[in-house]
Amino acid sequence: MLARVANNLFWMGRYIERAEHTARYLKVNYFSSLDAPNKLSQSRQFVLQSVYQMVGETSFTSLTLKEEEVLYNVGLNLNKTYSVLNSIKLARENANSSRDLVSTEFYESINKFYHFAMNYSNDKFVKNGLYDFTTSVTEHTSILRGKIRGTLLHDEIYALIMLGINIERATQITRIIKTKFDDANKAIGGYANPIKNSYEWTTLLKCTESYDMMRRYYKKSPTQLTTLEFLILNAKCPRSVMNSLNQIYNNICTIDNTKVFKKDTSAFLIGKMRAEYEFKTIEEIQLNVHDFIEKTSQLLFSIGFKLENEYFYV
Amino acid sequence: MTKNTLNPIFSSYDKIQSLYDEIFDENSDVREVYKKLFELYSGLSIDDYGNLNEMAKASFFNQGITFQVYSDTKAQEKIFPFDLFPRIIDHDEWDTIEKGVLQRSKALNLFLHDVYHDKKIIKDGIVPIEMISSSSNYLQSMMDIDPPGGIYNHISGTDLIKHSDGKYYVLEDNIRCPSGVSYVMCNRGALKKALFGVFNHYDIHSVTDYAENLLEILESVKPHGVDVPTAVVITPGIYNSAYYEHSYLAKTIGIELVEGRDLFVENDFVYMKTILGSKRVDIIYRRIDDTFLDPLEFKQDSAIGVPGLFAAYKKGNVTIVNAPGTGVADDKAIYTYMPEIIRYYLGEEPILNNVHTYHCSKEDDLKYVLENVNELVVKPVDEAGGYGISIGNRLTKEEIETLKETIKKEPRKYIAQPIMSLSVHATYIEDTNSFEQRHVDLRTFTLLGNQKDFVLRGGLTRVALKKGNLIVNSSQGGGSKDTWILKK
Repeated sequence: MLARVANNLFWMGRYIERAEHTARYLKVNYFSSLDAPNKLSQSRQFVLQSVYQMVGETSFTSLTLKEEEVLYNVGLNLNKTYSVLNSIKLARENANSSRDLVSTEFYESINKFYHFAMNYSNDKFVKNGLYDFTTSVTEHTSILRGKIRGTLLHDEIYALIMLGINIERATQITRIIKTKFDDANKAIGGYANPIKNSYEWTTLLKCTESYDMMRRYYKKSPTQLTTLEFLILNAKCPRSVMNSLNQIYNNICTIDNTKVFKKDTSAFLIGKMRAEYEFKTIEEIQLNVHDFIEKTSQLLFSIGFKLENEYFYV
Repeated sequence: MTKNTLNPIFSSYDKIQSLYDEIFDENSDVREVYKKLFELYSGLSIDDYGNLNEMAKASFFNQGITFQVYSDTKAQEKIFPFDLFPRIIDHDEWDTIEKGVLQRSKALNLFLHDVYHDKKIIKDGIVPIEMISSSSNYLQSMMDIDPPGGIYNHISGTDLIKHSDGKYYVLEDNIRCPSGVSYVMCNRGALKKALFGVFNHYDIHSVTDYAENLLEILESVKPHGVDVPTAVVITPGIYNSAYYEHSYLAKTIGIELVEGRDLFVENDFVYMKTILGSKRVDIIYRRIDDTFLDPLEFKQDSAIGVPGLFAAYKKGNVTIVNAPGTGVADDKAIYTYMPEIIRYYLGEEPILNNVHTYHCSKEDDLKYVLENVNELVVKPVDEAGGYGISIGNRLTKEEIETLKETIKKEPRKYIAQPIMSLSVHATYIEDTNSFEQRHVDLRTFTLLGNQKDFVLRGGLTRVALKKGNLIVNSSQGGGSKDTWILKK
C-alpha cells in the first residue's frame, strides 16, 4: 500500500474517533452539570473550562466564558483545530484520498456524515441542538466503525485504520481522565472523602460510555480507585487504555509481520508499552496518578510519531 | 408545430417537428423501442417522477459523485445533472456504431504509429505536413519510440450525434484522456435503484464489464520481460474535477490510485513508495496531460508529474496509457481527414459519417467560411471541453465581424462545419417540472490492446440542459442519461 495513502487511512481513523470523543465529552459534561451535587460542579463556568481544558484550548483569559462561544468553538467552528466539525471534515478529506481502497458503502456513510455536520445550523446548535448534534455524531461514528469492520477486507488497510482509531481512543481516554481528575480535585464532593468519591467519577465514566458496565463489574458506586482501574487497566472494557493497547498491538502485528521486532520499530515500542501496562496495578498508579497519566500520553504520542516516520514518510 | 399527448408525464411536451426526436417519430407516435418504456412511465405522474428525481439526486450526492464549484465564500459540491429517462439504442443501430468506432480507433492507432515513424501518409500526400508540424500536441520526443504492444490510443472516447437525417455522425475522437466512463456505470446504478421494475421488460447489455476489460487491455501491453505486471492509475489529486472518476476506476479495476509524488524513477525503472518500501510499477494509466507527465522532459514546473518517467518509457521499462503524443491525432484538424486516414491504413470505407469540415488553413475553405459564418459552427482545433466554439446563427453582427477577424489572424487554428442539428430526447426539466426536448449526443468508449479490443456496450448520452443549446459538455452545463443497448 502507498505510504501516502496509509497516512490518510491512519488519520482518517484518528479523526473519526476524535470527533466522537470530543462530541461525547461536550455532551456529558454539559448535561451532567445540570443536576450535579455541589455548587462548583453545577457552575456553568466550571463545565465550560473543563471542556476547554479537554480539547486543549489555552488561549482564553477571561474568567467568565461565554457559553455560546465555547459551544460553537468546540462544536462547529472550523477555524478551531479541535472542533468536532473540523475532525469530521479532516476524516472525510482523508477518506477522499484513499477512496479507491475503502468500500463504496463506507465512503457513502462518511460522506453523509460530513454533509450532515457541515449543514448543521450554528444557531440551532448553540441554542437547543447540542444534544441532538452530539448524539448524532456518536451514532454516525458507530456506523462508520461498523462499516469499517463489516465492509472492508481485514488486511493491512483495515489494520491501519484501526491503528488510528485505537491510538486516538487511548489518547482521548487519557485526556478525559486527566481533565476529570483535575475537575475532581477542584470540585469537592458531598461524601466522606471529597476526592475519592467525587461526582466527577460518574461523569468521567459517562463521558467514556462506560458507566453501566462499570456498575455491572464492581456492583458499587464509582470511586476514584475503581474508576481508574476500570478505565486504565481493565482489558475487557472496550474504552480502557489496556483494551486499546491490546488492539493496537494486534493491528501493528498485521502490518509488521516479522517474528521478532527490531528495537527501533513501532511494533517494538507498542509491545513494550502493552507488556508494561498488562502487569501494572491500580495501587502503583495511585501513588501518583497525575504523573502516570502524563507518561501514558507521552508514550502514546511517541508511538504515533514513530509510526509516521516508519511507515508514512518513506 | 406542437402536439400534446394524453400521457400525464408528457402532457406538456412540445415537439418541434424540424428536430429529430429520439422517442417520437415524425407522426408523433412513440418509436418501437420506446413503446414499452413509455407505457411503464405512463403509470407515473409528473410529481412521482419529480420525487424519483430527487431521490436519485440525493443518492449521487451521498455517494459523493460530485464536483466542486468555488464561490466567494466556500467550495460547494454539486452533482452532475442526471436524467432518469434513459436513451435506448437498438442492436442493429448499435452494431454499426460499434464497428465504426472500433474502425476509427484502429485507424487512429496506425496513423499515430506512422506519424511518429516514417510519416508515409504525409509523403503520399494524403495528410498535409502542416497538420502535424503546426500541431501543439505533436511530441517530437515520441519519434521512433515503439510503445509496448504497438498501441498508442488504448482508450478512445468517440463523440457521436444523430443529425436531422436520422444518421449518426462522429463529432470528435478523444484519445488523450477521455473521461466520463464512470458516469456510465453510475447512471446505470442510479436508474436501477430508482426504477428497478423497468429493467424486467428490456434485455439490455450490462456495462459492468468495462473495468475487467480495461485491466486485460492494460496487462496486454505490459513491458517486455515482465511476468505479472503492476498497474496503477495516476491522478493529479483530490482537487481535480475528474477525481471521482479516477478513484472509481482504480477501485473497480482493483489497482492503486497514485499521485506523482508517490512515484519515483531509479535507473530508468519506475517505483511507488509503499509502507513496506518501494515497489516496481509497470503500467501507468495516466489521467494527467502529456506535458505534465515528466518535468524533466516537458513542463518543468509540473508538480504533478514524475521526474524521469519519460526516460523510463523510452527504455521500454514502463507502459504509459494512453501513450504520450496521441493528442496530435484527436486534433479537430486531423478529424477532417479521418475518412482518408481510414481508407489509407485499413483499405476500408469509413463506417461512420464525418461532418463535412472546412479548413481555414485552405484558401478556398477560408473564403467560404468568412462568407458564410452565420451558417457554420466555428471551432478552434486544439481546444477540448466545448471551449471557444462559436455557433454562427447565434451571433450578433458585431460578434460575427469579431470572429472573422480572429479567424483571419490565425486561420490554422480554426475549422468550420455546417450547423449540425443534434437529435433531441425527452428530458425532465426541474424548473418547469415537465418533460421537454433537449439536444443529446453520445460518447462511446473503445479499448485497444495487444491482440484484444473492446467496445463498451453502453455510453454516455450527454444532454444540453439549456433550451435550444447544442453544447453538451458537462463543463458547459450539460447533464447525462443512462444509455441502453438492446441485446439481439
